[in-house]
Amino acid sequence: MNAVQLAVTDGVTVAKRNSIKILRSMDLLGSIVFMPVMFVLLFGYVFGSVIDIPGMSYREFMLPGIFTLAVAMGSIVTGYGLTDDLQKGIIDRFRSLPMSPAAVLIGRTTADLILNVTSLLIMGLVGLLVGWRIHTGPLEALGGVVLLLAFAYALSWVMGTLGLAVRKPEVFNNVSSVAIFPLTFLANTFVDSGRLPTPLRVIADWNPVSAITQAARELFGNTSASMPVHDVWPMQHAVLASVLWIAVLLVVFVPLSVRCYKKATSH
Amino acid sequence: MTETQAPPLDELATAHLRAVLTSRPRPPRPGPLTTSLVFGRRTLLKLKHLPEQLIDVTAFPIMLTLMFTYLFGGAIAGSTGDYLQFLQPGILVQTIVMITMTTGSALNADRVSGVFDRFRSLSIWRPSALVGALLGDGARYLLGCVIVLALSLVLGFRPAGGLGGVLAAVALVLVFSFSLGWLWTTLGLLLRTPQAVTSLSMFVMLPLTFASNIFVDPKTMPGWLSSVVGLNPITHLTTAVRAAMGGTVTSGQVGVVLLWCAVLVGVFAPATMRLYRIRH
Repeated sequence: MNAVQLAVTDGVTVAKRNSIKILRSMDLLGSIVFMPVMFVLLFGYVFGSVIDIPGMSYREFMLPGIFTLAVAMGSIVTGYGLTDDLQKGIIDRFRSLPMSPAAVLIGRTTADLILNVTSLLIMGLVGLLVGWRIHTGPLEALGGVVLLLAFAYALSWVMGTLGLAVRKPEVFNNVSSVAIFPLTFLANTFVDSGRLPTPLRVIADWNPVSAITQAARELFGNTSASMPVHDVWPMQHAVLASVLWIAVLLVVFVPLSVRCYKKATSH
Repeated sequence: MTETQAPPLDELATAHLRAVLTSRPRPPRPGPLTTSLVFGRRTLLKLKHLPEQLIDVTAFPIMLTLMFTYLFGGAIAGSTGDYLQFLQPGILVQTIVMITMTTGSALNADRVSGVFDRFRSLSIWRPSALVGALLGDGARYLLGCVIVLALSLVLGFRPAGGLGGVLAAVALVLVFSFSLGWLWTTLGLLLRTPQAVTSLSMFVMLPLTFASNIFVDPKTMPGWLSSVVGLNPITHLTTAVRAAMGGTVTSGQVGVVLLWCAVLVGVFAPATMRLYRIRH
């Protein structure tokens, strides 16, 4: 068995272990599943009446943003899981086994991808209940889901790197929140970026979260002809910009997380 | 088996022994206030040694104030300046009540690490570890208040109630936060891991802060949601804080907040003490 096959088979085993762990951790399941649902209901009804979106309901506009927010929040689990395993010494046990070192990271990110699939499915159902609809064909809709999951996977590697760099679960909790909060809110997630003050608009327009959200809106058909047209490249070519962002994140953070993993486990 | 007797001490050795052993009476047992303050100091020392724990008190208030002012200001109120006058008292409330959640997870971490078992062996007032933790956290809440207010003033917030109104608002927030802290101490002793405490705390706090009048006037919400918002303690606190900063606070508004504080302490302080006795 070559190195790649070994990494994949061992990765699947570790992913299975992580999935079982997630299923047994009710607080983790709850935070990933119910938190986004809470956001759908709270933002949908609290801000729904006061934020005006030309040509469509606020809830339809907001849902793709909530999907992006959810997968971004879901990526925190990757980093937290790695720091937790590091602290408890489980990774030291893995090191003593005849298994691929890459399997720990592959298994972790794969398990969290499965978790994100569940999260998106639940949110989609809640979205349908509050009035969200897909106005495009099944292929575009599937493309939207795949794009969101690919972004979730890329962000998992980012958070994995961060987790392996800080190594302490408590510290990671604080640092990841400070990273994810602005990333998801300083975007077009809840409000059209055209309504933001100029400095924030520039940040929002070039934020990867905005590109993913805009791409999801286009692929699900949650856009309106009455909405203002953005003259920035990532907003005009949102799907392509999203694919590029995902590729860049993976190219940078997969090797970086492997390097951080080696550093964290070399005593 | 005969026991060998120790040789008698000579006079010099006796003199040395008397010199090191004090003949003064034992100092009185420290009172509840003293021990609580010592534990409060311990909470602050933990921050000194782990300054990254201050992120929630320093970075979060700044982030929340800036983000909600500029993110929703234009979309909700038409201008960020107008929205800031409405939002700022609410942001003060949201920031500080969100910070209170760490009380429970920190307490749970202490419980899991076994340090509470060491505290049990000390001849001190039993609840002082809990009361002290809440008092120590009070300093964190105060720091959060200062950061939010300073930033808001820089952004252009001008409280009509003046310094007196601002101080009254801060006092209300701190009293409420101390009272709410007892809920988290109960959860901290009830749940198994700090992560579980954090997750459950978020489940409680997110609906309480968002389904309130912090960001939006409840009149704009659907009827059923408006009714829920009206029953929310955070709504009552925000109303009182807004009124205090605007110089229009009434005794009724303050009374409702203090009543909520009494309910929180009345329910969760005994629950915490009971759990503390049972589990420790």
